[in-house]
Amino acid sequence: MTITAFLSDRLRRLLFQAVSVLAAAVFLSATGTQTDILVLLLIIWAFLLAGIQIYDYFRCRAHLLELESIMDNLDEKYLFTECIPSPRSLYERRLFALVRRAGRSMLQTVSDAQTAGQEYREYVESFVHEIKAPITAAKLICRHVERETGRKLTKELSQIEAHVERALFYARLESPEKDFLIRQTSPARISADAVERHRSLLIQNGFRIETKDLDQTVYTDEKWAAFIFGQLLQNAARYRSESPLIAISAKQDGARVIVTVSDNGIGIPAHELPRVFDRGFTGSNGRCRGGSTGMGLYLCRRLADRMETELQISSEEGKGTTVTLIFPARSPHPA
Amino acid sequence: MFKIMIIEDDPAVRDELALLLKNEGCRPITVTVFENIPTQVSECKPDLILLDLGLPGRDGLSLCAQLRRESDTPIIFVTSHDSAYDELNALSLGGDDYITKPYNVPVLLARIRSVLRRSGARPETLPHFNGLTLNPTKGYASANGQTAELTRNELQILACLMEHAGEIVSRADLIEALWDNQIYIDDNTLSVNMTRLRAKLEALGLSGFIKTRRGMGYQL
Repeated sequence: MTITAFLSDRLRRLLFQAVSVLAAAVFLSATGTQTDILVLLLIIWAFLLAGIQIYDYFRCRAHLLELESIMDNLDEKYLFTECIPSPRSLYERRLFALVRRAGRSMLQTVSDAQTAGQEYREYVESFVHEIKAPITAAKLICRHVERETGRKLTKELSQIEAHVERALFYARLESPEKDFLIRQTSPARISADAVERHRSLLIQNGFRIETKDLDQTVYTDEKWAAFIFGQLLQNAARYRSESPLIAISAKQDGARVIVTVSDNGIGIPAHELPRVFDRGFTGSNGRCRGGSTGMGLYLCRRLADRMETELQISSEEGKGTTVTLIFPARSPHPA
Repeated sequence: MFKIMIIEDDPAVRDELALLLKNEGCRPITVTVFENIPTQVSECKPDLILLDLGLPGRDGLSLCAQLRRESDTPIIFVTSHDSAYDELNALSLGGDDYITKPYNVPVLLARIRSVLRRSGARPETLPHFNGLTLNPTKGYASANGQTAELTRNELQILACLMEHAGEIVSRADLIEALWDNQIYIDDNTLSVNMTRLRAKLEALGLSGFIKTRRGMGYQL
């Protein structure tokens, strides 16, 4: 708050005082007060007024600064009115009471929304766990039907599974608690897990899989990382070319391990590359091959962000796509 | 014959799993009353327990802890909860393996076999067909008094064909059977392995043991 802003705020009151004093001076001089006394009175008045204004200005400024610092130190800014001292003047107190009522009503709304969100997330999680039983049963039943039909059904079931899995991870991401577990693992374990989960998809599309130097130590949540790998494998399968290939390799780089997952698929046009991690972005490939949800890479990026893992993508149209994951190679909590 | 106890509350999964294990030459025992499970286990003395962690009324983990106190039967957890915490909990309570629903059938069977092998359960009878005997644990095949050492892939191919002796096994099925943790087989690798395997069988005096059925696959 600058002094000019402060004064201009009080301009009406100051003008009124000045006009009153001028009128009083005219009255006094008309009724015979000596000019020197009048000047003296005016000077005293001016000093008093200036003193009061300066005092008020500093008091106001100190109060505002205090409030601002309370606000800055608050994590939940919407709890502001609950944390500040009650004002002294009647008018301010009434205003404050009104704002506080508004705040309380908003707090209620926020907490209702949080509860609803939490319940919804829990429902999605339990739904995902429930639906896995019938999918499992259906996969087992597929053994009884004729081979080719069974294979096709298994493929469709795997698609359902992939969608369900994405829903689960979406729900987990929105959860405010950290429910991942950073442990020592290796890219070999992560990629083996992901490949195993997508085995029928990869086998049926005739993929060749090359792995290189995957036995390194990384610190990450194995399940989350395997989910990210899985999305990359699904993308590689969806946007595959003739004689599809996936190459997974790792190399140590100081305190981190760089894992690359490359395919020789149709690639992504350069102008679409910056947007592939956006929510719901499907791109020209997704539109033309179908079945794209625009959620896979978005989830990958969000999960990677939460685990403090870097995720990069590069691609050349017609040549293939390479996704790079950079994992920490040291524990975040040294013993 | 291995006795495998299935503790699973979803009836469809339970019945299908029992059928699958029966077809694989095991003896499945299904639990339908989820009370006094430890008693049921000690009565049946299974070689392996498949335990669902989401049982009604009681927590699979505490059940596992109790079973562990009373017997050393290997336990494979089957669960639809697959966060890293769940897995850590399960394995720290003495589960031998952990597999998440929905599982791939070949993966499940492979895990069961490997846990049984590790736990030193009785050896399976050696598969044999038309004078050829396969010894999967020692890694060789024998016929006419001669033996031939086989590589892992050759062994798997032969085992898969012998399992379905007489039937046509497609290349896709063979690849499916050969895929394993961190060993990924493609079409070319299969062809190479098949050629080598046939050469080895020929040396045992079994030429034409594996027939090619053009456009369909292979057949013993």
